Amino acid sequence: MTSFALNDSSVFVVIGSGAAGGTLANELAQRGHKVVCLEAGPRLQMADIVNDEAEMFGKLTWLDRRMATGKPDPNFPVWNCKTVGGTTMHWTAACPRLEPHEMRALTTYGVMPDTTLVDWPVTPEELEPWYQKAELRLGVTGKNGLPFLPPGNNFKVLEAGARKCGYTDIDTHHMAINSIDRDNRPACHQLGFCTSGCAIGAKWSTLYTEIPKAEETGRFELRPECMATGIALNDAGRVESVTYLHNGKSVTQKARAVAVAGNVVETTRLLLNTKSARFPNGLANSSGLVGRNYMRHFTIQVMGVMPGKVHFYRQTHLAGVVRDERGHRPERGFAGGFLINTVPFTPEILAKNMLIGGWGHELTDILAKYDYLAGMLLTGEDPPQLSNAITLHATERDGYGLPVPVVHYEDHPNTIAMKNYAWKAGRRIYEALGAEQIVEMGDYIPATHNMGTARMGTDPKASVCTPYGQTHDVPNLFVSDGSLFPTSGGCNPTLTIVALVLRQAEHIDQALKAGRL
Amino acid sequence: MTELGMTRRATMRGLALGGALILAPGALAAVAAPDRRSATTAALLRTTFPHRALTDDFYRSVADRYLKEVAADPAAMKAHDLGLAELDGSHIAPFAELPAVIRRSLVEKVDQLPFFKALQWRGAEMIYRDPAVWKLVGYEGSSVEYGGYLERGFNDIDWLPKAAAGGQG
Repeated sequence: MTSFALNDSSVFVVIGSGAAGGTLANELAQRGHKVVCLEAGPRLQMADIVNDEAEMFGKLTWLDRRMATGKPDPNFPVWNCKTVGGTTMHWTAACPRLEPHEMRALTTYGVMPDTTLVDWPVTPEELEPWYQKAELRLGVTGKNGLPFLPPGNNFKVLEAGARKCGYTDIDTHHMAINSIDRDNRPACHQLGFCTSGCAIGAKWSTLYTEIPKAEETGRFELRPECMATGIALNDAGRVESVTYLHNGKSVTQKARAVAVAGNVVETTRLLLNTKSARFPNGLANSSGLVGRNYMRHFTIQVMGVMPGKVHFYRQTHLAGVVRDERGHRPERGFAGGFLINTVPFTPEILAKNMLIGGWGHELTDILAKYDYLAGMLLTGEDPPQLSNAITLHATERDGYGLPVPVVHYEDHPNTIAMKNYAWKAGRRIYEALGAEQIVEMGDYIPATHNMGTARMGTDPKASVCTPYGQTHDVPNLFVSDGSLFPTSGGCNPTLTIVALVLRQAEHIDQALKAGRL
Repeated sequence: MTELGMTRRATMRGLALGGALILAPGALAAVAAPDRRSATTAALLRTTFPHRALTDDFYRSVADRYLKEVAADPAAMKAHDLGLAELDGSHIAPFAELPAVIRRSLVEKVDQLPFFKALQWRGAEMIYRDPAVWKLVGYEGSSVEYGGYLERGFNDIDWLPKAAAGGQG
C-alpha cells in the first residue's frame, strides 16, 4: 500500500471518505495527483456487514456526542456514519436529479419571508453533463441503458394506489443499486437491509468502489480512524497542513491543498473550531455564514394496514417513487414539492417510531398486522433559513475533547404546509386500495440529508464557497459535501453531491496542473 | 395529580430515600419484594405492549432482563420502584392482578414519567428484537444467508387490482 510522509507537502488531503470525499479522492488520484484521505471511522470488511439493524447501527453510526435545539431530537439530531464509506453505507441509493426549477429557487418561488432563497450559481445546463458522468459512475438504474430494478410488493402497493389517485410518474426509481452484475459487483438480491450496509455490495458505497480503485492507482493513502481537528495556514493565508487525532495522538500532515467533506456537521465543526488571528470566527468564515442556512428534508411516513399481505421488508428500502407532487404548484399552498417513496421498517423500529404517538393496543394492533403493512416515506424541499444553524457548544466537549456541535433547526411555515398536504396525499394512496387503517408518522427520523452550511455563490459576503466549492477566503481550501447547496431541492442529495464533486475534481486538476494550487 | 396522589408519591419518595418504613397498606411490597417488582413490571410491559399471543412467562422474562439492566443504575431503579408503587397503590389489588382496562387507566397516569419512557423504549427493543416475536408478527429477519428475498417472495403480492398493477422494470 502507498503511504506518504507527514512532511510531504505535495499531497492533496481529503477529509472524509463518503460520497463526496471518497469520490473526490479517487478522481484526483485517477488524474495523477497524490492524495491522503482522512476518515474518522474504521474500515470494515464485507464480512462485517450483517443483516441486523441494531448491530449495524452500532458499527456504522456517528455516535459521538451531538446536541440540538428546536425541532430535532436534542441528543441525536443527525443520522450519519462514521466509517470508511461514510454515509454511503447507510444511504438508500436513490439518485434523483435536482429539477431545473429547483436550481432557480428564488426565480421560481419568488421572495419567501424568513428565508435566504437564491438561485444556484451553477446552472442546470452546466451541471447536466456532470449528472451524466455521476450516473454512469454509480451505475444508476434506468439510465445509460441499465435496467430498472424489478418491482416488489411494497412498490406494487404504492404504484397501484397512486394510479388510482391519478398519479402517473411512477417507477422503481433511479437507484445506485446494481440491476445487473457490473463493476465487479453483483446485481441486487433484494436482501431488504439497504440502510444497514449492503452485505453483497450491490449498492454503491465508496467503501468497495471509489476507495479500492483509488488504492489501485498507487497515488492514494487512506488513513482510517483519523479524526481531523484543525487546519493550519501559512503567513500567506494558504493552508499548509492538517492536524488529526489517531489513537489519541495528535498528528500533522503537510498538504498542498485540502478538501473538507464531513457531511455538513463535521465540516462545519472543523471550520468553526479552526480559529486564528486571520479568521477569529472560524476558518473561511469571513462571511459569517459557515454553519448557517442548515437544511434537511422533512421525512414523514404513512403506513397502511392493507387488505392482503405485503411483507414490505422483503425488498430494497427505497423500492420505487411517485414524482407527480415534485413540481412547483403554488395552488397547493406551498412552494416547491416532494417525492413519495416506499419505506419498510423492522418491527423494532416501527414500534419505536409509533411509541411517540402512543402505547397499548393503538401500537400493538398495528404491529400484529406487520405483514399486512405497506409503507411510504415522503420527503420535500426545505427552504434555507439563516437562523437554522450549526454552532459549537461553549463548554461541552466530546470524547476527542472537541466542542460538541449544536444543531438548531425549526420548520419553515412552507415546510409545515407541505407536510400537511403530503400526509393527506399519502393517506389517499392507501385508502384508494381499501386500507383497513392508516398511520401517519411524524418527522422523527434524525436528518440524513444535510445541506447548506457553506453555500456556494459568487459574492464572498453572501456565500462561503465559489461555484466550484473553493472557499472565497482561502484559495487552496475546498468544501466538497452537501454544505455547498445554496438550496435543498426536493430530492435526495447524493447524486448532486457526486456530480458537483466530479466537476470540482476537474477544476482542481486543472488548477494543480497549471501550478495555481 | 390529586392531592392524595401527591401525598402518596411523597411518601414513597421518603421511603425510598430514607428507608424508614411508615407504611401505607398498598405500598409495602412494591419497593422491596423482588417478586412483586418482577410481577408488576411484567404486567406493565403487557399493558404497554399487549399481544394476546404472547404468554405471561414471556413478559415475565422480558421484565426480569429489564430489571437486571436497571439494577446497574440505582437512581433509575429508585425511579422505577416509585413508578411501580404508584401503579400498585390503587388499594384495590396489586397492579398485576387488576383487569386490563383498569391497568390501562393507571398507566395513563404515569405514561409521561421518565421511568415509563425508559421502560417503553428498552421494552420495545427487547420485545421486537426477539425472533419469537418476529415469527408472531410475520417478519423474517436476516436474508443474506438465503440469497435475499429475490427468489423468496419479494414480489409475490397477489391481491392487488389487476388493472392497476403495471410496474416498471
